[in-house]
Amino acid sequence: MRIVRDQGKRAYLTTYAAPRNDFLPRVRKALEIAATGGAEAVEVHNLGILKIAHDEVPALPAHVGGFANVYTDAGAEVLKGFGATRITPNYELQLEEIDQIARDSGIAMELLVHGKMPLGISDYCFLLEYEDKWGIKCPDLCQKDLFLRKDGWGMKSVGKGVLSGKDVCMLEHLPRLIAGGHRAFRIEAVSESPAYRREVAAVYREALGCALSGEYRQRERWWEAVRKHSRLGLCNGFYFGKSGMDYLGARP
Amino acid sequence: MIELLAPAGNIAMVERVVANGANAVYVGPRGWSRRRDAYEMDDADIRRSIEICHAGGAKCRVAINTNMQSHEIPPMLAKMDRFVAWGADGAIMTDIGAIAAVHRRFPGLTIHASIGANILNDEDVRFYRSLGVSQVVADTKLTLRELASRKEHIDVGIEILIHANKCYTYLGKCWMSPYHRLERTADASGKDVFKGSPNRGGLDYRVCLEAWELYSGDERWEARVALKNDAFFLLDDIPKLIDLGVHCLKVQGREYPVAMVGGMLKFYRDLIDAYVAHPKDRPFDLAPWGERLGAIEASRDRARSEGTRLLLIEARQPA
Repeated sequence: MRIVRDQGKRAYLTTYAAPRNDFLPRVRKALEIAATGGAEAVEVHNLGILKIAHDEVPALPAHVGGFANVYTDAGAEVLKGFGATRITPNYELQLEEIDQIARDSGIAMELLVHGKMPLGISDYCFLLEYEDKWGIKCPDLCQKDLFLRKDGWGMKSVGKGVLSGKDVCMLEHLPRLIAGGHRAFRIEAVSESPAYRREVAAVYREALGCALSGEYRQRERWWEAVRKHSRLGLCNGFYFGKSGMDYLGARP
Repeated sequence: MIELLAPAGNIAMVERVVANGANAVYVGPRGWSRRRDAYEMDDADIRRSIEICHAGGAKCRVAINTNMQSHEIPPMLAKMDRFVAWGADGAIMTDIGAIAAVHRRFPGLTIHASIGANILNDEDVRFYRSLGVSQVVADTKLTLRELASRKEHIDVGIEILIHANKCYTYLGKCWMSPYHRLERTADASGKDVFKGSPNRGGLDYRVCLEAWELYSGDERWEARVALKNDAFFLLDDIPKLIDLGVHCLKVQGREYPVAMVGGMLKFYRDLIDAYVAHPKDRPFDLAPWGERLGAIEASRDRARSEGTRLLLIEARQPA
């Protein structure tokens, strides 16, 4: 957090998506560090952790993450009562639903604009079954850029979790997101290389500036950069009401 | 007395499971529960189900446990008005906003947090308790130790799935199916059934069970890897769960044939009654029960793998 803040940036602390009882003491410790260490907010995916944060570190704003399954305006209202100041609506929602929740609840939405969207989380890492066969041990196993593929389908595997094989890409549609009133955008890069993070982030920084200026002109080099880093292609997730792996627009 | 809760995907199944000893039955209104619409009911059949259950001395719960859309909450409440007037004994729900709305409207109604709510730790339970939930379905990955902690520390009814799918992922935290195929269609009543999304509409294509190959970059490392998703029956744990004092043992399976589900109910009714009646100072022999369960399991496995095969074919059709 100090490194981030020394560069004039905001630092957030994220927390476990699926914590069982045994993890809660560690969560409490992390929340305490976040509250005293200058985190701008804590990102919470688990409603139990939200309750702990609300009860024990009420001054620390809570951003509710995508695994918390916020699907409705009524759900957002409930979370407001537990101190939520920003919400990542569930990835399955389409843009009109998200716009409406933001409007009616008055809570800021955080939207995934680029990267691999979570498709599932487990308590079991099946990659451990291959430690001996491959001669690779945990924690290196899930760093091997692994994809589950079959007849045109693809998902990225990180052992205990599955991500979309394609990269969600909303580069073409940024003006639509801005018009919906949204101002918090996320590049999901948890399983990506430093080059991916650096180059894709630079594209979006420039593109957002351009979209906010009101004259959106897409640059070819933006598209070269995002295509270079996408192994199985691009998609729009669920924003347009289609299957998550579909891409709607002029530039797949 | 522990409650045996049965599924019902149609009226014939309601009749069979009540006759075979269910203490309670759950049914899902079409488009509003975590199963395919073929195993859900129109409102007239929900009413009939409630009547059949009550005539047989059983409770009837309505599963209204999709993650619905914001604008569907008012029509959901209108449906609940009818179900409650007809005598529904409880609502099984997932969406926190919908739960809060139902609790405000029907403060006396028992609300069960569905498996889709994926309540994992004791603080989760306290969160849902604060919304008005009094019964919680336990995630299938939880251990007896975790359940015992819940039982000891929180005033909440614990429901255990004794026949269900144990997915690779946590329930309610999986979007593999709609990533591959989502079909937005409204049914005759105008309800969007979100075909392909288990969280929003119920039908899940089980794409986890595809014959996945594993690649590192462009190089194929494995020709077949499995994301385990097994259906299980509990047996050895049943006496322990009864002794622990859990409130409810729940059988899933609205999508299976009536006779098969009826057989499951009869089996668990007999087992629970035998265990409760046997003298506590003598060991309870589970071996004969295991044999009897084996036959049910074999027929269930056949039905399930055929179901999975057809779902994966359907998942490849253009949406």
